[in-house]
Amino acid sequence: MRNRNATAYRFLTPYLLIFAIFWVWPIISSFLISFQATRTVPWRFAPGFNWGRLIGDPAFFNALKNTLLILVIQVPVMIALAMVMAVLLNSPLLKARGLYRFAFFAPVVVGEVAYSAVFRLMFSLDFGVVDKLLNSIGLPKVDWFSNVTPAMALIMIAVTWRWAGYNAIILLAGMQSIPEDVYEAATLDRVSKLKQFFYITLPLLKPVIVFCAVLSIIGTMQLFTEPFLITERGGPGGGTETLGLLLYRQGFRSLNFGYASAVAYTMAALAIAITLVQLWLTREPK
Amino acid sequence: MATVTLTNVAKRFGAFEVVHGANIDIADGEFVVFVGPSGCGKSTLLRMIAGLEDISGGKIAIGGKVVNDIEPADRGIAMVFQSYALYPHMSVEQNLSFGLRMTGNPKADTDRRVKRAAEILRISELMDRRPKKLSGGQRQRVAIGRAIVREPQVFLFDEPLSNLDAELRVQMRVEISRLHKELGATMVYVTHDQTEAMTLADRIVVLRGGHVEQIGRPLDLYDNPDNMFVAGFVGSPKMNFIKAHIVGRDARGVVVELAGEEKTRITQPLAETAPEPGSKVIVGVRPEHFGGAGEGDADLTVAIDVVEHLGGTSFLYARTANGEDVVIQRDAAKVPDTSEITVSIRKSYLFDEKGLRLR
Repeated sequence: MRNRNATAYRFLTPYLLIFAIFWVWPIISSFLISFQATRTVPWRFAPGFNWGRLIGDPAFFNALKNTLLILVIQVPVMIALAMVMAVLLNSPLLKARGLYRFAFFAPVVVGEVAYSAVFRLMFSLDFGVVDKLLNSIGLPKVDWFSNVTPAMALIMIAVTWRWAGYNAIILLAGMQSIPEDVYEAATLDRVSKLKQFFYITLPLLKPVIVFCAVLSIIGTMQLFTEPFLITERGGPGGGTETLGLLLYRQGFRSLNFGYASAVAYTMAALAIAITLVQLWLTREPK
Repeated sequence: MATVTLTNVAKRFGAFEVVHGANIDIADGEFVVFVGPSGCGKSTLLRMIAGLEDISGGKIAIGGKVVNDIEPADRGIAMVFQSYALYPHMSVEQNLSFGLRMTGNPKADTDRRVKRAAEILRISELMDRRPKKLSGGQRQRVAIGRAIVREPQVFLFDEPLSNLDAELRVQMRVEISRLHKELGATMVYVTHDQTEAMTLADRIVVLRGGHVEQIGRPLDLYDNPDNMFVAGFVGSPKMNFIKAHIVGRDARGVVVELAGEEKTRITQPLAETAPEPGSKVIVGVRPEHFGGAGEGDADLTVAIDVVEHLGGTSFLYARTANGEDVVIQRDAAKVPDTSEITVSIRKSYLFDEKGLRLR
């Protein structure tokens, strides 16, 4: 048995080496860097330099506020929407099921840059299809990129569009694992379809919903592409700057790796904390 | 309580017909078992009575009222599923009361019904547990309890014991029998296990390939099967079938000679016109209908392959001179040490080449 393990580890060595160099070491290294002043040459150890700055930095709190706002609004809306999509996909009345499943999942496969470019075009004030539509039904045009609230809404719409189908497919898989005869028993018990959904499907799907929520929370905490590409680096005026974007700005534009590392660790800690709270709130009763 | 009447009931999935015009009358308070091998359409038939499957042809009436287009919940039935179909996130008490709560039944009445069901099934002390904390037998009781609280006219059971171990199956079988006596309700029960069918049923419906092969009381099916399928399906170990041909007629009936056994001739009293001499037939002999040498119509010497001792009785797995397998039941004390045994055929059945009974 021991011999077999040794052989297995020998096969794993190339992967483990790469994993250690490009994954484990950067995690350790960035933790160490977060305690160093990196705007001086050479870098020097100064624990309070970055962490102290974080506590009093308005840019950090702006990014934190934006990230949490997106988290609080977008994640629940997206999961609710994903649930509706999953219910529709699961309906026996649906024709061309495979096509819908593909269509719902497709946004995940589309390249981030391409989809961001399309969103920019669609929401453009001058020739965007969205404003044209709004206009055609008598609503005023919205300048999505120049005002903070519409810009935030646009980020949420974009992220929701991209990930709702993905979550719907996960929820659908969960729904399909609920045995049919439980519903048949409920039907014989004269329980309506709507009540079956709220009293059977939702409770039995809870672990899957929690799974989707945790994935989404982690994703939102790291949100970068959409505010970077669609609202042009967190614009207008930092109105959509997220923690991911702040990290990027500090690390790769100002080359302040110490502060960027501190932001990165804060993001990870927040994601873990929020996830733990959520798991605790939705734990199974004994 | 109610009667259940199936008239020419058919079920098609696309072009594929799984039930071909079944006619079954179930009396008020009767315990009827649908039995047959996998895929014979017995569960489909039950689900059609429940309303979980559409009826492709014919009529189903419960309590004299045609229910073809009536919602499952309005048919006055309750069903116990093979997999129990309990709500995994609810306690036993919630499982029992869920349907009544959801439909706005008065709380006092719901509580009364749940309490009564729990008492009948002796699960009162399990009321706070979730299904996953219950044993198979306890889950089955809860599933039956959920049917009882509905106070249905007809109980439907879809292979309810097939997920239980052998010992528990016997125990629950007795329990279901007791329940039938206690409630006096009409019960329709589906199983592939002929022992369950024989022990539980007032009447058995034997199904094969979507056709009703025979309907009758358990012992009638055992003593007087209509065809080889029923003869082979009812009784354990199953009836032996030995190839034979008609030799002629004598005063007592038609004389049959077993294939390859020139000396073994048996006489069957046949009322109907017997097939021509030389016609091929099949002789059916139940394992318990072999006697000692000279005790019956004719003697037969067979080579013993294996002996199974069950205690009081033993089963001898043997071969005739013609190479046909036979199972012989004997008293354990009368099992010889030799590799051969001569037995007599005390009682036999005659079937034509298509498997239909000749009588």
